Amino acid sequence: MIRHIVRKEFTDLLRDGRFRWTAAIVGALLLVSLGSGWVETRRADAAHSAARETAREHWESQGEKNPHSAAHYGIYAFKPRLPLSFLDQGVDPYTGTSVWLEAHRQNDFLMRPAQDATSGQRLGALTAAQVLQHLVPLLVILLAFGAFASEREQGTLRQLLATGISRRDLAVGKALGVAGALALLLIPAAILGAIAITIGSPGPAATPFARGAVLTVTYLAYFGVFLAIALAVSAWARSARTALVALLGVWVLNGLVAPRVAVDLSKWLHPTPSAVEFARTMEREMEGGVEGIERPDREATASRLVAEHGVETVDDLPLNVVGVYLQESEEYANQIFDRNYSALWNRFESQGLVHEALSFAAPLLAVRTLSMGLAGTDVEQHRHFATAAEEYRRDLMRRMNGDLAENSRTGETYLADADTWAETPPFLYDAPTVGWVLRNRTLSLAMLGLWLVAAFLAAAASVRRAEVA
Amino acid sequence: MPLGIVLRNERRLLAADRALAAVLGVFALLFAYALLNGMAWVGFQEETVASAREGNVERVEALEAELVDIENGGSPSSPFRDPRSASVLGGARGAHTAVLEPGPLTALAVGQSDLLPYYYDISIYTNESSLLQNGEIENPLNLLIGRFDLAFVVVYLMPLLILALGFNVLSGERERGTLALTLSQPVSARGVVAAKMAFRALVVVGLALGVSLLGVLVSGGFGAPGRVALWCAAVTAYALFWFTLAAWVNSLSRSSAWNATVLVGAWLLLVVVLPAGVNITAGLLHPLPSRVEMITVQREASNEAVNQRSELLARYLEDHPEMAGGVVAEEANRAALAWAATEAVNERLEEVTADYGERLADQQTLVRRYRFLSPALLAQEALLDAAGTGDARFARFQSQVREFSDEWRAFFVPAILAGEPMSAGVIPRLPAFDFRDEPTRAVAARAAFPLAALTGILLIVGFAAARRLRRITGPA
Repeated sequence: MIRHIVRKEFTDLLRDGRFRWTAAIVGALLLVSLGSGWVETRRADAAHSAARETAREHWESQGEKNPHSAAHYGIYAFKPRLPLSFLDQGVDPYTGTSVWLEAHRQNDFLMRPAQDATSGQRLGALTAAQVLQHLVPLLVILLAFGAFASEREQGTLRQLLATGISRRDLAVGKALGVAGALALLLIPAAILGAIAITIGSPGPAATPFARGAVLTVTYLAYFGVFLAIALAVSAWARSARTALVALLGVWVLNGLVAPRVAVDLSKWLHPTPSAVEFARTMEREMEGGVEGIERPDREATASRLVAEHGVETVDDLPLNVVGVYLQESEEYANQIFDRNYSALWNRFESQGLVHEALSFAAPLLAVRTLSMGLAGTDVEQHRHFATAAEEYRRDLMRRMNGDLAENSRTGETYLADADTWAETPPFLYDAPTVGWVLRNRTLSLAMLGLWLVAAFLAAAASVRRAEVA
Repeated sequence: MPLGIVLRNERRLLAADRALAAVLGVFALLFAYALLNGMAWVGFQEETVASAREGNVERVEALEAELVDIENGGSPSSPFRDPRSASVLGGARGAHTAVLEPGPLTALAVGQSDLLPYYYDISIYTNESSLLQNGEIENPLNLLIGRFDLAFVVVYLMPLLILALGFNVLSGERERGTLALTLSQPVSARGVVAAKMAFRALVVVGLALGVSLLGVLVSGGFGAPGRVALWCAAVTAYALFWFTLAAWVNSLSRSSAWNATVLVGAWLLLVVVLPAGVNITAGLLHPLPSRVEMITVQREASNEAVNQRSELLARYLEDHPEMAGGVVAEEANRAALAWAATEAVNERLEEVTADYGERLADQQTLVRRYRFLSPALLAQEALLDAAGTGDARFARFQSQVREFSDEWRAFFVPAILAGEPMSAGVIPRLPAFDFRDEPTRAVAARAAFPLAALTGILLIVGFAAARRLRRITGPA
């Protein structure tokens, strides 16, 4: 019996001009967004790889130089694109793309693409994720709002139930019919997506197929939630019109209102300092020191080294005091950076948690978080890269200061060989695995699971109680 | 006056409709919430601006005190940071923070003000690469989603309210069977639709403008009446566009359900899909010139300049004979030599950035053309421009910051080249940044484009609706 219902629903939908049109539009948008995302990602990735190589070249071809001058010259790090970022560009346009790794300073990531875009471009970008998060649910609503309500209006619901089919089978049949129609759209898109990953970008691997698989499941669960809600409302509503209006209301709240409310709420609960205040605090701590963190002193370093080596003056030391002192200053500054930056990053993380927690009111918030996480374009993975870049900077500074300390004497004019720079290891970034992403995203996973269960229970209850006429 | 009767009747009907009252109530709440949000943001910005200004004063006072102390026989706090040196006083120690006050209507539209920098530290070392800044500290996730401000409610949600109020003005009457009765009176279908829409428009536009004006009043008065007028014009034109669209759909004489479907579809297309589609088209056809490549070029430029350091001073003095007073190229002081290198790097940076800036401006002009495809994009642009949180005001700020940075440099460089010491006497003469806001006329001239386009679309749709409605005479 279910088979007949499924086939009837499916054929009905395929014959319906409205479905064909909407599905064609959504499908076209999905294809366009997949294609353009892929092109854009490859373009950005090519530019970044080229810049990375040039940056390294600049570093290596510095010629004879004092290591500390080289440290001041520094090197630029460019954020790579992860293979799945063509599906969901996430916060990438709003985070800087490159950072200058130099002596004494932990610099911010600069050059956010969004800053170069026009204000109109903030109204939204058409990425595959946007289509999947906003337009496909709308399609689900359009396909399913009449499932029970229209049959009831036309009086066919009574006839159907009179044939002895159980309400449960009827609901399952309708759901499968809609899902089948949707599959016609989504399966080709999924195949294309998988192909795009296979011939994807040369960026850090980061388990792209596992990420892609979890991403697929996430979106299927999201569509499942919407399908169940649509059926529940359709069985509950007195008329098809009421069902449609109520569902559109849910769609607007979920997609437009809730995310922005989450922004305000997160800022209100976890305010971030202004850039002026942040810079001033750091400057003050850098000059005055912080309790428990000792500010190095050049004289003290010198006399300690003299005592350790059991020599008379600094000139007798087998090393350069300046190199040792510079490294101590680096380490001192690093502690100040860590205090301030990790406090800021933690703020961002708490704000992200507010977005996730609010997904109890809007499943989109959980899905968006998961989608960006799996695509590798969320704030946490930006932090992951920023941390890796900073660790590389610290290592580079240690090497430079070490070279200065070991290979020269205090007061000597020292130039390191031209091939010193090629000996420092290049910056290689390993993107986190899918497991790392999911461990950070347990709240969203739980919320999405909860929504799926709740929506199915609601659909079951609503169908059981649905009035026949 | 039969139309007067229609109007009065509408008022009674709407007043009696409790569902409608609830919808209007919800919208009033949304508007109020959006306004509070915007005001909180303005509060934060004002505090930041005030603290940046305070910083300017504190820095200058500390430097003045130290200079006076040195003149009275004291010694500088550190030999590397001696304020008598022009490159210290004009450098990071004496840096001046140039600030942009929040636009007069920022409380109504946050716009780009959370993304683009509204303060810069200016010193003699400020160059094109130090002007590349992030702006306010903000979670990128929040930047991506955007704020719940009045501009958002107006552009995205207000059309839905208008459609809910207007989708069945004619079809509803027909379906209830009251249309024939109404039209047997000495009124035309056009008159009835116009009166009904006018009444609804009065309610919606009244609500939107009322909250806007309240916001202006609470968040700093009517300092910029021209901008307020522009804002009101944009809100009104955008609202009327949706009313005329609803009137046109009604004039097609289809069922209420059909009207609703078509109108929601139009909203989806014009507000959600088209702006996103425009962006993707723009991105593919006119990609942003790559900043990443710019860094590489900048880097090469500065390498080149630093490598030629020894030749630079001679060349610099050739280019700037007015600076040469007292400096002899062969025995140049170290500061002058260092400055020549800095200047050479800056010049190359300016070339590279100017080239990039031109390409970016071309790209933005192309992208802006697409805004005529969607009334939502037109309205958003006009609203942000009126509020002073659009791209234009920030671009103006940045260009004035560049001018100020030149002024600052011109103040200190001659002293650096001549090796002249600074005294407490120069402190009152230090340049200070003061933003000169655009005259309202210029804002209006720019906003006139989107506003005129919006009005044009509105008139075309309204005209089409009026023509079709004229044909509806009796019971359909």
